[in-house]
Amino acid sequence: MRLITHNMLSSNIKGVTNGFPLRIQVEKVVEKEVDFNPDFLRNMFAKIEWKALTEASKTLGYADLPEETEPLMLESEEFLRKLHHALLELHLEEGALVCPETGRKFPVNKGIPNMLLHEDEV
Amino acid sequence: MDLLTLFCTATASILAFGLYWFVCILGSAEQKGKAATQLSGGSIAREKVQDKFKQYWTFFRRPKEIETAEKVPAFVDTFYNLVTDIYEWGWGQSFHFSPSIPGKSHRDATRLHEEMAVGLLNVGPGKRILDAGCGVGGPMRAIASHSGANVVGITINEYQVKRARMHNKKAGLDKLCEVVCGNFLQMPFEDDSFDGAYSIEATCHAPKLEDVYSEIYRVLKPGSLYVSYEWVTTEAYNPESPDHVEIIQGIERGDALPGLRSFKNIAETAKKVGFEVISEKDLASPPAQPWWSRLKMGRIAYWRNHIVVTCLAWLGIAPKGVVDVHEMLFVTADYLTRGGETGIFTPMYMILCRKPESKL
Repeated sequence: MRLITHNMLSSNIKGVTNGFPLRIQVEKVVEKEVDFNPDFLRNMFAKIEWKALTEASKTLGYADLPEETEPLMLESEEFLRKLHHALLELHLEEGALVCPETGRKFPVNKGIPNMLLHEDEV
Repeated sequence: MDLLTLFCTATASILAFGLYWFVCILGSAEQKGKAATQLSGGSIAREKVQDKFKQYWTFFRRPKEIETAEKVPAFVDTFYNLVTDIYEWGWGQSFHFSPSIPGKSHRDATRLHEEMAVGLLNVGPGKRILDAGCGVGGPMRAIASHSGANVVGITINEYQVKRARMHNKKAGLDKLCEVVCGNFLQMPFEDDSFDGAYSIEATCHAPKLEDVYSEIYRVLKPGSLYVSYEWVTTEAYNPESPDHVEIIQGIERGDALPGLRSFKNIAETAKKVGFEVISEKDLASPPAQPWWSRLKMGRIAYWRNHIVVTCLAWLGIAPKGVVDVHEMLFVTADYLTRGGETGIFTPMYMILCRKPESKL
């Protein structure tokens, strides 16, 4: 599961008011190279919850993203390369996504997050 | 070598090759796709496939009388564990129908049908759209490569997620496509997070259409569009006719459907959850060519595949229950064909909706 996906997943357990962002429990991280596409990154940038991304990225072992951003950064190749790496090249292969309110763990196996709720959580 | 021996050898070789061609090459819906020797019961352990199939068949005996709607998602999950491999092997990676187009192959007709859906959404690169009930991602890949949009798919079946991700990677589309395992009745996405959404012949698995429509409504950004291809009964359907009822129940039972809705219910449900309905149309109505001709033409293919699957199960290569599943699908295909021929059922009732802009 890449961080571009993590950035949009939230816990929807009944009664939870703020299920985003999910904390990450890491068991195995893999880096997979992906072609660099600056246009794609610029388009995606507006949708990203930045703080959630920087926190998640640090958890996966990559701390090079700036804490704050400004529009001019989108012109900088250096910034875009860092964004590219964090968003698309880091994969959580094994581990869990943790609901920030209840602590419930959603397992991640072979890169697949299983977000199915149990009967009592619906 | 004398002439007779030569002749016999040549004939035997041609027959052997012909048999190989008929069984192994023609058997697969796609070259380098799923092979018959790889048929499994999805995430179900080999020994349990036949049992799971029996459980499934018992549960869906009387779809309209299913009291325990909460159990439906688990049975839909079981259904897709049982059929995903067979669908991929015998039908292809897009688990849905398309109007047939004279002069075009099934693959092309399928692709055009999928591209039309996303054309209605009017999205492009940098936009993020939801595929609710994405299967193994056939439509997702066609749509992502055609539009350049980012597609996030959700499916309740973990085996399908594995297959979808594998296919996405093979197609080089894993940057644009992502798949999550989840229930579209309780989606793990924040409100207002998608620029568009589509569901192709998937919402029919929800016991109440309202529940899936309201979730899709929730996760869409205001002003965005949702297009759905629905499985419904048509104007021609007469609930008093025992023949009609038999066909519809046959379709429901063999496709994990808790109860087919009438085309009349679709727009009213969409409006109930807050959507504006922009247009609705039965894409199977003339001048569209029959979507069921693909099922009919496949009769010889079914018999061949049935023989292949039976042999593989006998040899212990395919799990035992796969033969029962294949037979169920064969019987269901017959009901679907009758549904198409009588005009009482359509799998492609299209509805296009918009989530209104926020009134701030």
